[in-house]
Amino acid sequence: MRGRRAGALGLAPWGLFFAVFGIFPLAYALALSFLAYNPLRPDLVRWVGFDNYARALTSPSFWHALRTTVLFVVGTLPVTLTLAYVVSGLLASVRRGQGFFRAAIFFPATLSMVVISLVFKSLYAEEGLLNGWLAAASLGRVHWLQDPVLALPSIMLMDVWASVGYYAILILAARKTLPDEQLEAARLEGLSRLQVERRIVLPHVRPVLLFVVLLNTIRSFQIFIEVFVLTRGGPLESTLTLVYHLYERAFYHFEMGYASALAYLLLLLVGVILIVQRRMLGGDPADAPA
Amino acid sequence: MARVSLGRGGDLPLTPGDWFAQPLSLEHYRAILSGGPMARFALNSIVVTAIAVPFQVLFAAAAGHALARARFVGRGVFLALATAFLILPRQVTLVPLYLLLSRLGLLDTYPALILPHLADPFGVLFMAHYYQTMSGELEEAARTDGWSSGAIFRRIVLPLSGPGLAVVGVNGFLITWNAFLHPLVLTTSESMRTLPVGLALFAQSEHAVDWGALLAGSSLATAPVLVAFAFFQRQIVEGVLKGSSR
Repeated sequence: MRGRRAGALGLAPWGLFFAVFGIFPLAYALALSFLAYNPLRPDLVRWVGFDNYARALTSPSFWHALRTTVLFVVGTLPVTLTLAYVVSGLLASVRRGQGFFRAAIFFPATLSMVVISLVFKSLYAEEGLLNGWLAAASLGRVHWLQDPVLALPSIMLMDVWASVGYYAILILAARKTLPDEQLEAARLEGLSRLQVERRIVLPHVRPVLLFVVLLNTIRSFQIFIEVFVLTRGGPLESTLTLVYHLYERAFYHFEMGYASALAYLLLLLVGVILIVQRRMLGGDPADAPA
Repeated sequence: MARVSLGRGGDLPLTPGDWFAQPLSLEHYRAILSGGPMARFALNSIVVTAIAVPFQVLFAAAAGHALARARFVGRGVFLALATAFLILPRQVTLVPLYLLLSRLGLLDTYPALILPHLADPFGVLFMAHYYQTMSGELEEAARTDGWSSGAIFRRIVLPLSGPGLAVVGVNGFLITWNAFLHPLVLTTSESMRTLPVGLALFAQSEHAVDWGALLAGSSLATAPVLVAFAFFQRQIVEGVLKGSSR
């Protein structure tokens, strides 16, 4: 009995850090969101109730950032999902060297997003490789990141490239749990490859596809590095996302209370997305990948 | 990336022809090694990762084991909170962490870059699950023989934890090494920046970006990841499948 109680002591080191650098900041942020708080003017700290939230919900910048974020999700999710599914199918059908291809496809997921963004910035640069190719093909230059219409799609393209492999591996893992006999039986019944995909594989991996939708949406809502490195929210705020907006408010304008309200709105949004997608799509996405 | 970093000067090869025509050179790497900001960024990244990851692994083993084996009040609460933190947008803790560490006088120091990583819940949850699927019979037998909890943990549990701790360690390494938003905010002087932060801010200078140096630094940031990936691909994928978040 003594030993069992002592066993719980193992929780203490991590529990302490989790409380101080996890739980406490979470509660602190909630408190801050009801304050006007500028760390440079501690004398002006005061309680403002829901003013920060009201200000966000009536601020054009907030809605603009939200719209940009939603555009980003709508533009990338279907492409990423389709490509990841197709790639997982190709990986599953490769007979020789599957390990190598799997590694090659997955590797970008382990790279620093800063490095990926820098490489794409060099590709998109006015004097970069993409424009070099266009010039070699006697085509005009494209202002990938300087054109307000093109900047967001350019970032979206990079995001698709960077995340397809990650999701393809998730879907591939689900494919592998499908018994070979079932596929074999379907083929013996004379189903074409496309029919097998549609009637057997797709329903089988559906829970994981839902999980990918969820994960990708939540991640897209947190996009920051890409914007920070490539465009800093510009040109003309065309790539201003929620988290970048939050960062600017907190660390350029030192509106820590307002930024905390933005953070809690983000938290709320992600929570709502979780619940809605779970309701709409059914199943328990949290259980899907294991 | 590797190609430009091996070139001369700071320009990008404009045409596909230049790609092959420009001479190879180690000038940018020599510049990094002979001091300069990139060397400092790399050193900071190495220090932070080398200190944070072993602690993450140790904490994950101890806390994971406690959550899996011991029965105590609040166990369910810990599990629920840790799980919630996995999904939670990390940006929520950004401003409070900045204020907290600034109040503690730790802004712009190594502890500011290291301590928040030790709160990471992924390893703890992963190890809790790992120990739940591992039989506790050996531990029970040792306990009956009068072994202390500490001895059981050190001499029975830890030696059997290798595969699980490898997953936690490798994923902890990737997350710590690639971390960006928190290190960006928690450092103020150039000499405290980690590689990702240093690189991103280096690229901010509006005119005449030195692409050669930048992509040499990027290669530097990528090399350890490449090595880790080559040796621990299976562990990385397993971590991803179990919900390791980047």
